[in-house]
Amino acid sequence: MLSVQNVSKAFGGIKAVDGGSLEVKKGTVTGLIGPNGSGKTTLFNIITGFYPPDSGEILFNNQPIQKLLPSQICHRGIGRTFQITRLFWKMTVLENMIVPVRHTGWRTLFSQGVKKIEEEHAMELLDMVGLTKFRDDEAQKMSFGQQKLLEFAAILMSDPELILLDEPAGGVNPVMIEKIMTLVDDLNRQGKTFLVVEHNMRLVMELCQHIVVLDHGQKIAEGEPAAIQNNPLVLEAYLGSEHHAGA
Amino acid sequence: MKQSLIFRNAWLFVALIVLLAYPQFQKNQYYQHVMIMTMMAAVLSSSWNILGGYAGYTSLGHAAFFGLGGYLVALAHNRYGWHPFVSTWFLAIIVTGVALILGWISLRTQGSAFVVVTIAMVFIFRLLALNLSGITNGARGLTQPRPGWGDVPWSPEFIKVPFHYIMLVLLCLTVFVSWRIRQSKFGLGLIAIREDEGKAEAVGINTMLYKVLAFGFSAYFVGVAGGIYSYFFTYIDPQFIFDVFTGVTMVLIALLGGRGTLWGPVLGAFIMEPLGNWIIGEFGGTQIHLTVFGGILLGVMLFMPQGILPTITNVIQQRAKARAAQVQS
Amino acid sequence: MTMPSTHLLIQTIILGLLVGGVYALMSSGLTLIFGVMRVINVAHGAFLVLAAYLTYWIFQFTELDPIVSIVFTAPVLFLIGWGVQRYILSRLENPERSSVLVTFAFAITMEGLMGTFWKTTFRSVKPEYVNEVIKFATYRIPVTRLIGFGAALVVLLILYIILQRTNLGRAIRATIQDRSAAQLVGVNVQAVSALTFGIGIATAAVGGSLLSMIYPFNASSQTDWITRVLSIIVLGGMGSLPGAFIAAIILGVSEQLTAVVFRLYWSPIVFYVALFLILIFRPQGLMGETVREKA
Repeated sequence: MLSVQNVSKAFGGIKAVDGGSLEVKKGTVTGLIGPNGSGKTTLFNIITGFYPPDSGEILFNNQPIQKLLPSQICHRGIGRTFQITRLFWKMTVLENMIVPVRHTGWRTLFSQGVKKIEEEHAMELLDMVGLTKFRDDEAQKMSFGQQKLLEFAAILMSDPELILLDEPAGGVNPVMIEKIMTLVDDLNRQGKTFLVVEHNMRLVMELCQHIVVLDHGQKIAEGEPAAIQNNPLVLEAYLGSEHHAGA
Repeated sequence: MKQSLIFRNAWLFVALIVLLAYPQFQKNQYYQHVMIMTMMAAVLSSSWNILGGYAGYTSLGHAAFFGLGGYLVALAHNRYGWHPFVSTWFLAIIVTGVALILGWISLRTQGSAFVVVTIAMVFIFRLLALNLSGITNGARGLTQPRPGWGDVPWSPEFIKVPFHYIMLVLLCLTVFVSWRIRQSKFGLGLIAIREDEGKAEAVGINTMLYKVLAFGFSAYFVGVAGGIYSYFFTYIDPQFIFDVFTGVTMVLIALLGGRGTLWGPVLGAFIMEPLGNWIIGEFGGTQIHLTVFGGILLGVMLFMPQGILPTITNVIQQRAKARAAQVQS
Repeated sequence: MTMPSTHLLIQTIILGLLVGGVYALMSSGLTLIFGVMRVINVAHGAFLVLAAYLTYWIFQFTELDPIVSIVFTAPVLFLIGWGVQRYILSRLENPERSSVLVTFAFAITMEGLMGTFWKTTFRSVKPEYVNEVIKFATYRIPVTRLIGFGAALVVLLILYIILQRTNLGRAIRATIQDRSAAQLVGVNVQAVSALTFGIGIATAAVGGSLLSMIYPFNASSQTDWITRVLSIIVLGGMGSLPGAFIAAIILGVSEQLTAVVFRLYWSPIVFYVALFLILIFRPQGLMGETVREKA
């Protein structure tokens, strides 16, 4: 579904992504892991159109997308959460749900802000994540975990086919992590594809069918969770070269 | 529920009636003049607010559209005999077109550079007006015939009255459009852009399109006002009408009343314009009125950055919450 | 349009370069302030004019050469600038958004005060060499412009040395690059901001002193100057000193050339049109970074 081909991106003199490639198969939950600074978030930013790659191509459903605007990429069906949760803080929970747009035309642009049918859809999604009673509260008044759920639910409004999650479990308590994992799993069963950047290894190992490992902007390993766990290259990347894989 | 809706908006009907009747009971020309200028300031500021308030992009260059409207109307009147009260509505569409182009160029810059570019806009227009004297009569400016209708000029006692009503119509139109925008998806998107432009883009809002459209909308009413203004004073010249200060006043008024709200700019206008007139009346000989304006702007920015309306709304909400908490305990 | 002779062209370009140097000086403080604090100091033009008035005032009473009076005007403006940042600007909650309006408020407040105090007559400082011209090869160079250029170069050099060779300069550069990172390594960014603002306004003092003997001015000139200077830093790329320098030279030369090749009154417009044209293709300016602040 998503094909990142030999993408490079440098900032100043530093190559954040250096010939990185990865494939995400439709209907899977793919994990993207690697030590800090390995280029994961940069790759996300490139895929979603915030930076143009210096070289390389990105294909989504066989269409190149590396030159598109982030809003266009969203319209193609890719949704994304941010490492540090980004919401429209002063808007209400409901309004945050309504803002994402999948299809725009001139008529939609000037139509009523919050339509009945959208409101219903939004309430369904809020229900799914358990935020129903907060609908008229300001986003900034919610707890950290609730905000993460809201961000997730909001991007579901535009019904994306591929969802990029940037550290969904970051800084969140174990109960919430379970909740998020269940959500991802359910949605995956319904046919949605995920690409997840995470440091929480349990989440990655349990949720992902396929894992790609990045280090210094390049792919150093990929495969099933079991294989990755025992891969010496991966351990070296995380722990440094003094440590070698034990038995 | 229905009752409270009417009750909440009753003040609007009262205000409208007062404004409609105003020229009938206020015969003093000076006060008629101030009211017209006040309504115009409300138009300018509300129009600016579409870009500057809802989307959060501070333009200091709207004077360019004001002056352009003024010049187009004056030229059309002098060359083709088009009456400004009719022509300004159409000529402002040209102004909007220009604004869309300029907006497309200037909105590609970062937020901070954007303000600078808008200032440059005013200067470019002023210089064009000064130098293209074949069309614009350069520094000598353009005059129009005495206001009237057909071949009949209006009598000196009556002369300001038509301007009052057309300005009132413009004000109602501007506020109405601003309200509709606020209620629409477009408006929601603009506010999203103001809150977090990157996030807005990420969730599918074509931010460039939205911003350019907002720019265009905000230019239209300013252009219409400029056209009426040039007729009202029957004279415009580049220095007079392409003045960055006009743009700053728009901003100050919106800030004072409450940037990003529907009625804030209107409220701000009804405070600042009479006040400003009084200040210029008292201190007009010197430049000190600039200092007073600067002081007010500074004061608002430092102590009431939200503006009057949101501050009052917050206070009311806090009181309501406190009362609710008291009732519960 | 009159095609001038080569001699006149070169003469014009030389003059343009000299003028550009002074513009560069005037803009350097502004772009530095933006780089460190993300603040657009719209009052920069007003400070230029204030310095010009102070120089004029000093000259009226003591006949002190404008260049020498920099010794007085620069520290005074440094202190004012430092104070403004320390006590007012640092209290703003969202400096990037609100600095424009706040500094604009300053600008018009100052314009009002200066206009009230010194009235609206155009002023000029006329030291004894004001009309003298130096002949270089066959070219005539007004002494005031040459001195202006020289002073500008000296101050820019001092600025360069401060930035590259001193601890303060290092701290400033670090803060420009990454404010939070600088804080993490122990830079007192508040102090750096206040000092940088002071330095920026002090350069305006030098610029103003030069202005006083090259261009007639009054309180309302501040708008012309701020528009020029702001456009220079946008063209050059906000926060980039080399960019400001290049853009200033471009402005100086294009202004002079337009005056000679077309008509005098077209010259200001060339720059603004150039600004717009360049922004179409390079929204970040000549040497600015394509910071996708949105990401």
